[in-house]
Amino acid sequence: MTNSPRTAGRINRLLAMLPWVIANPGAHVDEVCTRFGYTRSELAKDLNTVFVCGLPGYGPGDLMDATIDDDEVTVEMADYFSRPLRLTAAETFGLLASAKAVQSAGLGGVSLDRAVRKLEETLVPGGGDSVVVDMPEPPMADLLRTAAVDGTVVRIDHTSIASGRQTVRDIEPWSVFTTLGNWYVSGYCRRVGAERVFRIDRIRTATPTDERFTPAGAARTATLHYMPGDDDVHATIRLGAASRWVAEYYPVEIVSRRSEELTIRMAASDPLVIARLLARLGSDATLIEGESVASALEDLRSRILSRYAADA
Amino acid sequence: MQRVIERILNLLAFLLTVDRPVTASEIRNTVAGYDRDSDTAFHRTFERDKALLRDLGIPIEREATDAFEVEFGYAVDGERYSLADPGLSDDERVALSLAVQAVGFGGRTLGEEALMKLGGVAAGSSGTQLGADLGEQADAVAAAFEAISERRFFEFEYRGTRRRVRPYGLVHRRGRWYLVASEANGEIIKVFRLDRASDIRQVPGDDAFTRPEGFNPAEWVIREPWEAGDEWMVATVVFDPDVAWIARRELGPRANIADHPDGTIRAEIEVASADAFIGWLIGFEDRAEIIAPDRLRSRLIELVRNA
Repeated sequence: MTNSPRTAGRINRLLAMLPWVIANPGAHVDEVCTRFGYTRSELAKDLNTVFVCGLPGYGPGDLMDATIDDDEVTVEMADYFSRPLRLTAAETFGLLASAKAVQSAGLGGVSLDRAVRKLEETLVPGGGDSVVVDMPEPPMADLLRTAAVDGTVVRIDHTSIASGRQTVRDIEPWSVFTTLGNWYVSGYCRRVGAERVFRIDRIRTATPTDERFTPAGAARTATLHYMPGDDDVHATIRLGAASRWVAEYYPVEIVSRRSEELTIRMAASDPLVIARLLARLGSDATLIEGESVASALEDLRSRILSRYAADA
Repeated sequence: MQRVIERILNLLAFLLTVDRPVTASEIRNTVAGYDRDSDTAFHRTFERDKALLRDLGIPIEREATDAFEVEFGYAVDGERYSLADPGLSDDERVALSLAVQAVGFGGRTLGEEALMKLGGVAAGSSGTQLGADLGEQADAVAAAFEAISERRFFEFEYRGTRRRVRPYGLVHRRGRWYLVASEANGEIIKVFRLDRASDIRQVPGDDAFTRPEGFNPAEWVIREPWEAGDEWMVATVVFDPDVAWIARRELGPRANIADHPDGTIRAEIEVASADAFIGWLIGFEDRAEIIAPDRLRSRLIELVRNA
């Protein structure tokens, strides 16, 4: 049995709250609650705990003194808890990486810049720029985010990565987010009458319209996972040594392994996705099974070769 | 839980004031809340409490109680216990708090506890408009960061090989975390994808190396897949009008782009890996064409013909 994470969380908060209250005697109970995420009764409970703890002997002169009097919080007889506890490496990392992500997206400000500089100087001595976050925000993100807040319907000219199909749609943007190296906008697509997620780098133009919608209070979070669908196409492919990276890069099912060769099965929303992959792998990969992929590849091959005026 | 918290506060208060290493048995007999009847129960509880305090970042060291090193006890190093106060102002804490709320690590946020230790955030802050996720490897990346900060050697399993490196920096680029390091017994800088590292371990011993002066980890991590390689060439590619905007965005400022009145663009770009570049270019299907060099053009034709 181990002590629960909830116990650790409570002690962590206590050890953060105590130095601040000791340094700011008589602080208003509401401010203490806001700073350390307490409800009033949770704070009272923690202060009652402090009140019965202290140094060996555990008599009146040994225990800490903690009170809420007239909405003022005071802790005395607890000098040993007056110094804030240092941050763990994971805590420093979380703070720095989050701040640098916001800076990189271009959404920071002078306060954040100053905070990062102070954190690096005091907490990562000699570390300089040991953490770099590179995720610049695409120019269109700002327009889409503003529209999400204002409730403005936006007309987008979008080209699908999978099919290459270009469409013009009116969307009600909900949120702009980035994950796995790409930026997305999620929202309600009026053209299909359902929620959709679009890669921002594949939106050629975005124009606010005169149409309005009622934005949800908090930004609705969109999940982004490859969702296998009924219309997916499947293919079985044999990969040579130079193509094995495919099995690491894409979500695939390994069918069999034989020395240098790997046979995989993969799915995609459009046969062209797999056809393009096969085209770049050349003779090192072989399509074993997948009719629609075979014909998409045939078509792709003849189109590219005729562009290059080369014989098949 | 209430009794556990009281016992741990009492233990920590004792260790912070006693100013010398104290043995487990002295703790058992002095600090309120420990079982004095059963040895097993005491040791189990004491181990758990120590582990919890260490997880919170409290440096509990095991030290000899006297010069003869017959007996060992526990002490908290006051210097290492305390936060080196960065002296943040309230508006700086609010800015950090907004950043922490905006950025996830595989869906969870990191940094709230840190902010509390730094004094908490006075004003309620919300309304952040960024949603960013820095991936699910937060634990591995944080461990690498600890090794970087303490200048400890760092070990991990990578593509079937055990590596021991001097970790210098972390870069998040193209949605992945990269560790920039030199091998423990060499000066050659290498870049590792942390999502492929497993069985990681920090080698005990702080200040085991010094980072090269002015080292910038960002310079070592490629921006585009075709920058990884050693067959450098300048590729000239023509893109049709309907896809020219995509090519222009993806190539970025490093490409030399000439516009043609019909909407076609001609891009010159430095390429280090022919196959990686072709892999990207095939995304444009028959709406792009390699003009030069010949060997790149023939390589694409060969790949497509044999596919």
